[in-house]
Amino acid sequence: MNQEQKMSVISISLPTKHHNNELNQTLEDDEDINMLESETGSSSDPNSTANKTNTANSVVVVPGELITDDPTWMRGHGTYYLNDKTYSSVAGTILKVNKLLSVIPFKGRYTPETGDHIIGRVVDCGNKRWRVQIGAEHDAVLMLGSVNLPGGVLRRKNESDELQMRFFLKEGDLLNAEVQTVFNDGAASLHTRSLKYGKLRNGNLCVVPSSLIVRAKNHSHDLPGGVSVILGVNGFCWVYKTNYEQLGSSSSTTAGNLGAVEAGIKSATSGSGDKNDELSATLKETISRYKNCLLALSHCNIGIDETRLVAAYEISLGYGDVNSLVSDEVKEAIGEQLITAEKMRG
Amino acid sequence: MSRFELYSPEGMRIDGRRSNELRSFNCNINTHPNASDGSSFIQQGNSKVICLVKGPMDPSYSTNKNGSGAGQSTSIDEPTLNISINYPPFANNDRRKKLTKNDRRLTELSIILTKCFLKTIVLKNYPRTVIDVQVTLLSFDGGLLSACCNAITLALIDAGIALYDYVTAVTVGIYDQVPLLDLCTLEENDLSFITVGIVGDSDKLNLILCEDKLPLDKLERMIGLGIQGCHRLKELMDAKVREVGFDLLNKKQ
Repeated sequence: MNQEQKMSVISISLPTKHHNNELNQTLEDDEDINMLESETGSSSDPNSTANKTNTANSVVVVPGELITDDPTWMRGHGTYYLNDKTYSSVAGTILKVNKLLSVIPFKGRYTPETGDHIIGRVVDCGNKRWRVQIGAEHDAVLMLGSVNLPGGVLRRKNESDELQMRFFLKEGDLLNAEVQTVFNDGAASLHTRSLKYGKLRNGNLCVVPSSLIVRAKNHSHDLPGGVSVILGVNGFCWVYKTNYEQLGSSSSTTAGNLGAVEAGIKSATSGSGDKNDELSATLKETISRYKNCLLALSHCNIGIDETRLVAAYEISLGYGDVNSLVSDEVKEAIGEQLITAEKMRG
Repeated sequence: MSRFELYSPEGMRIDGRRSNELRSFNCNINTHPNASDGSSFIQQGNSKVICLVKGPMDPSYSTNKNGSGAGQSTSIDEPTLNISINYPPFANNDRRKKLTKNDRRLTELSIILTKCFLKTIVLKNYPRTVIDVQVTLLSFDGGLLSACCNAITLALIDAGIALYDYVTAVTVGIYDQVPLLDLCTLEENDLSFITVGIVGDSDKLNLILCEDKLPLDKLERMIGLGIQGCHRLKELMDAKVREVGFDLLNKKQ
């Protein structure tokens, strides 16, 4: 008896949602605190918190939790194994693809994958490469050899280009690019060998968690209000003035290759400058409204894509001034309205 | 002998707890979503601690370049873990105490914690990176190392950093023949105590610290009680992590 007493632990914790019923019961029983006594070997006790959570949400796993002892599963990200048993190493949800078992963490840094359209900021320049901050564990590199030079000419880069690197992109510049390769340690190498990639201007950067960006075929969209957006897969979003010149020329590129080169020269020469265009006050307001909509979506943890952004924008118009979108209540209201609207549509 | 009756013959401690009773435990994660990759808040009795984790990130962004971490040199295939403990003057009850004396002790504690967590983080997942951990005490009432350890565990989980398991820690003191669980400052000042840190639901000790003289034959019982306390704390932390995760999942739909 005495020994048993020694091995148990009493603890008091603030009542949580799960305990609400229990608490009411104990209050009726005229007890003033919610005491939980956990003893070794008493796991059959239905009131134990551990039991309750395990049955309630079995999709959620936490570090150290046994996922399976079946050795036929392949172990993916977020898992580790010990004696043929697979355990989770992060808090997240289980993803099973055929025989591959992985855990997707709730939160975490962006991990680059080949082909991702991302936005980054140049933090360092030299040694034939730029170092680009992309919100991942490692900075990405952009080699001098994997950019298109202004003027759209495709040629080998020589020493004079190396000396002029800061003329193309300097520290603090924002650019959009595609992940070319991912190295063993998770660092990415980028390229901007396309007309849609390159330096960014005439806009505003907005950073949201990368897990919210829904991967799609196309990440640059033209939105109502003369504004375009690039939803970088790494969670960096760029809201900017729609470039109608480029829009017009890109539609004509389908006609022939010659047009593409011409358009490239045109956009490259106009796009590489540091100077922003003159933006009207209304346009600036629209841009900041879209930015606040992105922030509202991220505040409410809603996955972000083009349709949702436009829908959030339309809802936000009902809240009047852009300044009012900053408050948390308005953000939550926008999120709620968006979800209910989507449910109505089905 | 102490001025206070630390353990009454009826089995009550100075704050009305039993010998095997934890203080009220409250925790939260993702408390500072904009300032860090992972954050947590922990309250054990009157001890309140917040923890911010930045990283894993490129070594060039680390604010703590010559930190007190055990793995100082940035190795090729492992991360560098910097843990700094911030103990501001307002956290203490005692106005007279010189906090400069504490500096070396805090450095030592951070080294102990670094060693402990280097065994817990799945190192091979984070080559050539830095993980910065900042622990700040908001108010202190015993269990410095254990509160820091629990806060760091939660913050690392919140940051999505791969861990082999939870590490939970608790202090155990000894009063005559009776081991006392989770001491407050008054008890810590007058009793010999140890801090034990346990890996998950196992009996594996990942952390043990004894700063006082202690009869050896009592140690086993103290560790035994500590393990039980840690398991209970793990359950409480686990419930919180699942609750937050489940809320997130519900929202995303």
